[in-house]
Amino acid sequence: MEMFLMALCMSMLGVAVAAIAFGAATRPASSSSSPVQPELRPVKAVAPGRFFTGQIMPPVAPRPHVPTEVLLTQIENHVRLEQAAAESFLESPSHAQLHTKTTSAFVN
Amino acid sequence: MANEQPELLKNLTPEEVQGVLAFGTRITVPSGSSLFQLGDPAERLFLVDRGRIRLTLPMQVRGRQEDVLVEERTSGQTVGWSALIPPHKFTLAATAPLETEVIALPREELRKYFGANPTVGYKITLNLAVVIGHRLQLFQAMWLREMQRTVEKHSA
Repeated sequence: MEMFLMALCMSMLGVAVAAIAFGAATRPASSSSSPVQPELRPVKAVAPGRFFTGQIMPPVAPRPHVPTEVLLTQIENHVRLEQAAAESFLESPSHAQLHTKTTSAFVN
Repeated sequence: MANEQPELLKNLTPEEVQGVLAFGTRITVPSGSSLFQLGDPAERLFLVDRGRIRLTLPMQVRGRQEDVLVEERTSGQTVGWSALIPPHKFTLAATAPLETEVIALPREELRKYFGANPTVGYKITLNLAVVIGHRLQLFQAMWLREMQRTVEKHSA
């Protein structure tokens, strides 16, 4: 009788250990102690692609519209200033005189 | 003629100057009028006596052809030396921004006169060389200035 009870206890203990082990093995890995699902972080902006990005050119900022008459006046002014600078170079030729900067709108 | 001797007639004696100007025709160019157009046959050389002549070249500006100033010639200066240099076609257009008087010297008469008076022909040729040489040096310097900027822009 004692042997029977001992065998019964051992069997129940074995079943209990097997049940705990089974439960631990089948528990979802993501489950945590907190019942609340963790907040998802917003996805960062996608990094710019390294390839094929050159096909789309960024829009060029439009230049301020200059009336044609003003543009022609600027051209004429540029020519006069350039001639004056070239004349100065011819009077006293030097590297510095050749590349003096004028006040022309085209070079500033 | 202007008080100072015109650049083309420098170092000529008064008699020689009179001899050359005897072929000349005084022309009044009204303000805004054309003296000659690009590509026209260059039959006459002009001495500016009074006023101003704008020398221009055509340039495309916003899809339109515009005459852009290249040089201005004033009293005592020479315009249209293409008349003495083959192929005798004007390489610029000339207009008067204000009423201007020029003395037109026909090429053929000048050549005949130079043939008969080689000393005058020699002096005028030297003066013309100064005019042409100055323009060449001027535009050479202007071209190099533009080239320098282009190189700096593209190598930046």
